[in-house]
Amino acid sequence: MLTSLFLATVEAHGAVAGASEPGPLESIQHTLDSLGFEWHYIVFQGISFLILFGVLYKFFIKPTIAAMEERQQKVESGLKYAADMKAQLASSQQETATLIKNAQLEANKIIEESRKTAKDFADKIQKESSERANDQFAKAQQAIELEHKKMLADARSEIARLVVTTAERVLAKKLTEADRASYNETAAKELSAV
Amino acid sequence: MSANKKTQQLARQLFKLSLVDGHISAERVTGVLGYVEKIKPAHPLAVLKIYQRLVATELAKSQAIVEHAGAVSDSLLQTIAASMTKKYGRAIAASTRANPKLLAGLRVRVGDDVYESSISAQLSTLAATAAN
Repeated sequence: MLTSLFLATVEAHGAVAGASEPGPLESIQHTLDSLGFEWHYIVFQGISFLILFGVLYKFFIKPTIAAMEERQQKVESGLKYAADMKAQLASSQQETATLIKNAQLEANKIIEESRKTAKDFADKIQKESSERANDQFAKAQQAIELEHKKMLADARSEIARLVVTTAERVLAKKLTEADRASYNETAAKELSAV
Repeated sequence: MSANKKTQQLARQLFKLSLVDGHISAERVTGVLGYVEKIKPAHPLAVLKIYQRLVATELAKSQAIVEHAGAVSDSLLQTIAASMTKKYGRAIAASTRANPKLLAGLRVRVGDDVYESSISAQLSTLAATAAN
């Protein structure tokens, strides 16, 4: 608006110059006068403006700038904190991944050792069981064999006893006095020869 | 020396006094019994028991007990007595005792020695052999 006002002033001055041709300062003075400008008002307004500006600057602009700077610092601090947190998070994730990997390796190692131990233990138990079973089988066979021998001996003894008992009964019935006397003579000769 | 040992020693001394030519003499035994009755040693009953056992053992040594099943003639007994006398080198008299369990045959005891030839013994031997 001021620019268009100044241009209109210059054009008016051109028109005036074309009529009487005064000096440039004079024409500017003349123009300003025609527009109602007074220098002391301009100076007072400038001072008022500066005072107003100072007051505004002190009580509004400066605190606002300070608040903005503070906010900016907070934002930057927040961003920095977020970046740090992100880095820490990445580091933590990496560390966690490493720990998980190590734990997994350790777990796999423990599982492998446990499997091996369990297999060894199972093999040992199986071997001991097998040996025990073989031992018991051998003992059982020996016991059966002994029992068999004992049974045979008992049977043989019982048969012999029955045979002898039967023979004694038969002989007690069948032997005559003559047979006994004859046997006694033979026995006497046998005993005399001892 | 314990009382038991003294008693045995006294009984053996009395037993030796009862022998004449290695044989028990009835007169000596009577004399020994009179002596014991007269002097009354310590533990007289124990002394007499041991003395009796020694005399019985000695008498058994000079006697052959012939157990038999069936008849045994006197000549057979004489034969056995003569055989045992010859075997032991002292006079042995034979006496008989019936034992039907022998079935047939003889069993002769002289002291602790036993001689047997009987069907019962043969059957026992057969049973033992068959059992083994």
